[in-house]
Amino acid sequence: MAVKVRRPARLVAEIVTVVIAGIVAFPLYWMVLSAFKPAGEIQSAHPKPWTFAPSLDSFRRVLTVSGFGRFFLNSLAVAVVVVLLSLVLSFLSAVALTRFRFRGRGMLLVMILVAQMVPVEALTIPLFFLMRSVGGAVPAFGLNELGSLVLVHLAFSLPFAIWMLRGFVAAVPAELEEAATLDGASRMRFTWQILFPLVAPGLVAVSVLAFIHAWNDFLFAKTFIISKTENQTLPQAILVFFKPEDTDWGAVMASSTLMTIPVLVFFVLVQRRLVGGTAGAVKG
Amino acid sequence: MKLRSVLPAVATLALLAACAPTQSGPAASGGNQTDGTLRVWLFDEANRAPKEAAVKEAITEFEANHAGVKVDVQWVPVEGRADKFSGAFNDPSNAPDVAEFGNTDVSSYAQTGALSDLTKDITNWSDGKDLLPSVLDTAKANGKIYGIPWYTGIRALYYRTDVFAELGLKPPTTLAELTDDARKIREKKPDLYGIATGGKYTYAMLPFIWANGGDLAKQDNGKWTSTVDSAQAKAGVTAYANLIKDDICPPAACANLTGTQSVTAFAGGKAGMVIGGDFNRKAVEKGAVKGKYAIMPIPGTTPGSVAPAFAGGNLLGVFGASQRHGLAVQFAELLAGIKYQEKMYAAMGNLPTLASVQKKLAASDPTLKAFVDTLSAGTKFVPSTPAWSKIDSQNVLPTAVQQIATGGKDANAALADAAAAMNKNFG
Amino acid sequence: MAAVRSATVRRDGRAALLYLLPAGILLGALLVYPIYQLVVISLYDYGQPQAAGAAPLVFLGLDNYVNLLADVQFWTVLGKTVGFAAACVIGSLVVGTALAVLASRVRAVPRTLLFLAALGAWATPAIAGSYVWLFLFDTDFGLVNEVLSGIGFTGMEHHSWTFGTFGTFGLVAAEVIWCSFPFVMVTMYAGISGVPKETLEAAALDGASVWRTTRSVILPAVRPLLTIATVQSIIWDFKVFTQIYVMTNGGGIAGRNLILNVYAYQQAFAGQEYGLGSAIGVVMTLLLLSITGLYVRSQRRSAAWL
Repeated sequence: MAVKVRRPARLVAEIVTVVIAGIVAFPLYWMVLSAFKPAGEIQSAHPKPWTFAPSLDSFRRVLTVSGFGRFFLNSLAVAVVVVLLSLVLSFLSAVALTRFRFRGRGMLLVMILVAQMVPVEALTIPLFFLMRSVGGAVPAFGLNELGSLVLVHLAFSLPFAIWMLRGFVAAVPAELEEAATLDGASRMRFTWQILFPLVAPGLVAVSVLAFIHAWNDFLFAKTFIISKTENQTLPQAILVFFKPEDTDWGAVMASSTLMTIPVLVFFVLVQRRLVGGTAGAVKG
Repeated sequence: MKLRSVLPAVATLALLAACAPTQSGPAASGGNQTDGTLRVWLFDEANRAPKEAAVKEAITEFEANHAGVKVDVQWVPVEGRADKFSGAFNDPSNAPDVAEFGNTDVSSYAQTGALSDLTKDITNWSDGKDLLPSVLDTAKANGKIYGIPWYTGIRALYYRTDVFAELGLKPPTTLAELTDDARKIREKKPDLYGIATGGKYTYAMLPFIWANGGDLAKQDNGKWTSTVDSAQAKAGVTAYANLIKDDICPPAACANLTGTQSVTAFAGGKAGMVIGGDFNRKAVEKGAVKGKYAIMPIPGTTPGSVAPAFAGGNLLGVFGASQRHGLAVQFAELLAGIKYQEKMYAAMGNLPTLASVQKKLAASDPTLKAFVDTLSAGTKFVPSTPAWSKIDSQNVLPTAVQQIATGGKDANAALADAAAAMNKNFG
Repeated sequence: MAAVRSATVRRDGRAALLYLLPAGILLGALLVYPIYQLVVISLYDYGQPQAAGAAPLVFLGLDNYVNLLADVQFWTVLGKTVGFAAACVIGSLVVGTALAVLASRVRAVPRTLLFLAALGAWATPAIAGSYVWLFLFDTDFGLVNEVLSGIGFTGMEHHSWTFGTFGTFGLVAAEVIWCSFPFVMVTMYAGISGVPKETLEAAALDGASVWRTTRSVILPAVRPLLTIATVQSIIWDFKVFTQIYVMTNGGGIAGRNLILNVYAYQQAFAGQEYGLGSAIGVVMTLLLLSITGLYVRSQRRSAAWL
């Protein structure tokens, strides 16, 4: 940046930066490393930060446990559906909240802000009983089903998503819409064909956050999926290996690695846009 | 615009829709389908593999005899069972068909109305007449039977014969000697826990209370009152909490140990002693201590006496909302029948609940002696009221033990709190 | 916001309603209605038999709250929750902001490395992160004890990090900060890079010191962002559940590492007291709303981003 920094000072700052980056990344390195260590080296009283005999044993153990692949797909399905739906819904709401004028708009904005502050974990109890009732009418969205998880995560990621996209939509000049209207484009067409692509960075940020939210969930999956083993998600799969006094650390690290990879890939792919997106949202 | 008029309308509707929390419908009635997936919950154990193998065999047999039926087993950790079962009770339509549960939970589970009354099924079951009456009693609430007794859980003292011989120790004849021995073991062999036991191992603590003449609660005119703050109970709990000290089983490692974990530690050669169940025998036998341990009844306070043990046992219950009631009962009967009781005995060392099987096996297996002796010396039970499950799942007693062991509170304060919490649940 | 006031914007409530309806229905059903239900349940004796429909409902009024407020453990847990969350919020803000400043003063390569590492921490699912940290700090197999005892702190051999009340909270807080500072860093970095070059040059020409430039030029420019980062951190760190639940095995020894969220869950789902659990949930919601509300109000400039 423009702040003038003298050269030796900058060099020191850069060294510090790299060291800090190393520290921050270290737990991840340790996770992946431990996942690849052979059995004898993991549960060792003198752990070493390297291995000369990488082994896939831990991964094999994880993947052969019945259902790990299934759990993975379950988590993925929930997260992807949540991302797609929250993109569409939050985009529509953001457009309405920025480009239409109507009474009650300000109040709605405040409500959306407040909604982000509601501790959703506290809602586990009523949501559990709500989903029980929903299941009576529409079994696919009831307890024990992935649909129930999609619904709650969608609801929880919407307020923040709307809030974020609002800034992006507002940043698109109104003149553009005028021009499009003059060219004879319907409002629907303008919204989807012109506005939607223009707010892409915001959409990326929204999808990343919605994905993480759904993918990371531990509490609702634990509470909602009661007896259908085939509908469990990844966190439960990891819990299987974690038993105090008798933990299979290799398997825990391997399953953690497998769970982290999709998010990491997602993050790195959209890295630039995410940074821009978050900033854009907060500036809007 | 319209939002303003719509919102209050929606709000009013919502208010009308539910002025009170929802209750699930009148105990959803089950069905009697003869195909599909039968969902079974069984408890996870220290070294589950042999149990799993025996159950798998039963499943193979069951699936071969019932075309179109698949049995899905989910392993539930004993300590995490409360929220799991809460879920099943709250939404009967998503409950499993068959579930293993402890006899301490019978009254509370029966109260939810979610379990089937199996009295008739057991009367009509050929092996049912063979069930030990005293064991069958533990499966009853209000005179109805809510589960088929699967095995009896009696705990005794496992100790390392090699360590005792090396240090010149004699098997303890009193609880005080047990504590001394444990301390000596830890002193001479600092890499061993004197005795592996923990704050969350309530069933190991109970004999200490009972041997000291205390009890958990007393019943007057149908009303339960906690007695854990009595002098006798206090002496027992304190004696137990003294095991979870740096000179025996350091609290940093042991304060949170459960029964399963304590046995795992002993089986792995990390402890001089452990209080373990008959159902743990094979897990220990397969561990690092194979051939280097013996089992004896937990001693009482005077030499030669036996501390009253907790008369535990697990049952197989059928959920009332099961869509495959007939299949569920048949599967439970298969697992709890003569053939698989013998197999479970071979796999885990479980004490059978069928008189004929128990007689036959006890005669041929001297290692069962400690458990049979304990049984005949007299056992005790937790208060048989629905409140007990709640007291149990709220960790009332483990919290008190942990507070005493870690010095967070003294015994008087910790047990006064525990008694208050228990009385609140008794109502 | 100029766009909104432009005449081209449709004054069309019906279209707005149409656009807002899908999200509105969903939020109404899954956020507003459950909040209402949370309050309703908290007014009843709602235990296992009641929930299962095997016993009649008893309306208690405020009894659950009275019991809760009279319970010493509740106040202890509340105090610990506030302390723990405050430590996490301050930690994330300080680390995040400091690193954002650092990142704005170095060249692209080290900066990219730092951002990649931070993104990695951010991306790690809470449950995976909890286990990795537990493993690093494991009593017997952990690298941290090995390193500490290796460099002379022999007392740290077989030290249990999850035993002492403060040690355990510290470990969990470290993990929480590790995965939540990246958001602060990214946000603040965006703010710092958004300060116009000319302003800074003008300040430099006027002979302003680095400290003075930071305080008078950069800070006012990034204040709205700082508000957002703070509010988000408060919201996230008060709601931590997974880390505490997993790393302290459900609340620590004798429940001494419980925080409100986990306490409510234990009361409701393990203790079968859904009414009491809901009351805790209500208290927590009010607490969070008032903290964030106060903070937002205290930041005058925040009006700009509403």
